[in-house]
Amino acid sequence: MKKINKKLLGISASLMIMGAASLSQAETLKIGLAGPVTGPVAQYGDMQMIGAQMAIAKINEAGGVNGMQLEGVVYDDACDPKQAVQVANKIVNDGVRYVVGHLCSSSTQPASDIYEDEGIMMVTAASTSPEITSRGFQMVFRTIGLDSHQGPTAGNHIADKVKPSKMAIIHDKQQYGEGIASAVKATVEAKGINVVMFEGITAGDKDFSSLIAKMQKEGVDFVYYGGYHPELGLILRQSAERKFEAGFMGPEGVGNKDLSAIAGQASEKLLVTLPPSFDLRPENKELVESFKAKNQDASGAFVLTAYSAVQVMTDAMKKTGNGDTDAMQKAMREMTFKTPTGDIQFDEKGDLKSFDFVVYQWHADGSKTAVK
Amino acid sequence: MLETSLYFIQQLLNGLTIGSTYALIAIGYTMVYGIIGMINFAHGEIYMIGMYISFVAISGLTMLGVEYLPLILFITLLISVFISSTYGWAVERVAYRPVRGGNRLIALISAIGMSIFLQNYVRIAQGSRDIAMPSLIQGGWSMGPLDGFQATLSYMQVVIFIVTFITMTGLTFFIAKSRMGRACRAVSEDMKMAGLLGINTNRIISLTFVIGAALAAVAGLLLGLYYGVTNPYIGFIAGLKAFTAAVLGGIGSIPGAMLGGLVLGVTESMTSAYFSSEYKDVVSFGLLILILLFRPTGLLGKPEVEKI
Repeated sequence: MKKINKKLLGISASLMIMGAASLSQAETLKIGLAGPVTGPVAQYGDMQMIGAQMAIAKINEAGGVNGMQLEGVVYDDACDPKQAVQVANKIVNDGVRYVVGHLCSSSTQPASDIYEDEGIMMVTAASTSPEITSRGFQMVFRTIGLDSHQGPTAGNHIADKVKPSKMAIIHDKQQYGEGIASAVKATVEAKGINVVMFEGITAGDKDFSSLIAKMQKEGVDFVYYGGYHPELGLILRQSAERKFEAGFMGPEGVGNKDLSAIAGQASEKLLVTLPPSFDLRPENKELVESFKAKNQDASGAFVLTAYSAVQVMTDAMKKTGNGDTDAMQKAMREMTFKTPTGDIQFDEKGDLKSFDFVVYQWHADGSKTAVK
Repeated sequence: MLETSLYFIQQLLNGLTIGSTYALIAIGYTMVYGIIGMINFAHGEIYMIGMYISFVAISGLTMLGVEYLPLILFITLLISVFISSTYGWAVERVAYRPVRGGNRLIALISAIGMSIFLQNYVRIAQGSRDIAMPSLIQGGWSMGPLDGFQATLSYMQVVIFIVTFITMTGLTFFIAKSRMGRACRAVSEDMKMAGLLGINTNRIISLTFVIGAALAAVAGLLLGLYYGVTNPYIGFIAGLKAFTAAVLGGIGSIPGAMLGGLVLGVTESMTSAYFSSEYKDVVSFGLLILILLFRPTGLLGKPEVEKI
């Protein structure tokens, strides 16, 4: 008797678990949010996560997609290519079919191979390296511009407005940093700017005194840095300590408040190319209020691009009537999406048809103003 | 001509600064190796913890209203050295002593585990972002023409040189003259024999870890002030560089670790100066391979004599 009871108990328990599982499957549609939750560039991951979670919340409020509620599942790749591959495999195993991410180009690239093979739809809100979409993949989209656009925007600004006599271009030897640094170099050299140094540093380094002394000796008066803020912050700080008074410029990877925390006063007057401040568009006023109500900051560069990334996927699901990713990717290449980042369309490669970067001047308190 | 020599001096100073902090950390590796023949991979993490403690102590003291800078630095040094040494002692007690009798590989794996544990522990406790602190010691001396290239020696660099020098001299005297130092040398020569002669070997091994951790904490405070930034991951690279310095100078030899650190720092700085900073690590590790090819025991290491 006792034995039978135990068996019955076991069976009913497993039935309950199965029931619960099938119940949740029917009700929620999982969207993987992949990006750095930890690691030195986690603040960009924060931007992506709050943007995507807000979109998921808003869409759920409005009744979900095709009768289903969305659920955001966060995966941490720490902006590490190796970890990104593990995350991608985990996403495959978890049966998640839609991914917003990854964030760092060097993570997105290897992860996207896996998504493409498995037919998982991936929309990155932050990776700007041109190579990601240049491989003829069907499932890979992005809601942000490319370094091949950002580089020329920065390069033209340097050549037309700043007009340095001797320029140095420094990068962190990573896919994103070196890619954009090369794009800037090509643009300014075509316009006749004298680039006297083009050098890589190692991400994670703390001592740049030798590099700064070298730039001082070469008489450099303007520096472009391709990479992320922890290194540029230190370069700025050590430059100020050594009275190296050149102008500095960087891509969107350096534009966040932690830069000012590291560099302090030295971050004043840094030039940064960033996606336009979508949070200042009048159409987004209400949305920005919802972020404020949650005590979140909508002004981060990737917040609203991540919002759009979620939205384009769900709009495509609504259009195709089911969650089939192959039908979705075909539809996405034809549709026009009305998103907080404007009316957007994708080209054959999965890139946005148009996306403009804007040159901002950074301030020591972490704010920014557009440069006319 | 003047400019070239000023530039050389500047790069030499940069290299010596970074090199002397490598040396401080390298001593921790070399002492532990000299005594129990294992590589303490968690040592870089102790340095990182030292840096975090200095940051916390400095901001705490400033909040308490202490304004006199030398006093702040002195108290911070004491706190940081004390707490980091406790960590060094505890790591040895928890992770190495229980496995000491067995295969050396077990202790090595235990050390790697400890390193990962400490890194993640600090990451959870303090967050993974970079923590920054304003420069406390500013200014310096400049040499050279006002309109041309100037070599600068900042006060912070001077502080680093002086503190490193005092610490190194203190350690050398401690090892050479004191009773405990003599016991250290005895244990390093032959642990079993030293034990038989009445030296408490466990205590000496603990002492080694405590000294190593204290020096790492000094390096943590100095570099924390110099760079003004820290994160939970800095221990790894710093540890790797210091370990290289220890091997370069001859692992097990304390003057070797000092020399190795300086050589490594100057090599890195000169490579960035006259070649390219991209190849900094290639050249310094290439140098390590070359030195080990021609002098397998490192610059100042003594070939181990097989004891019969």
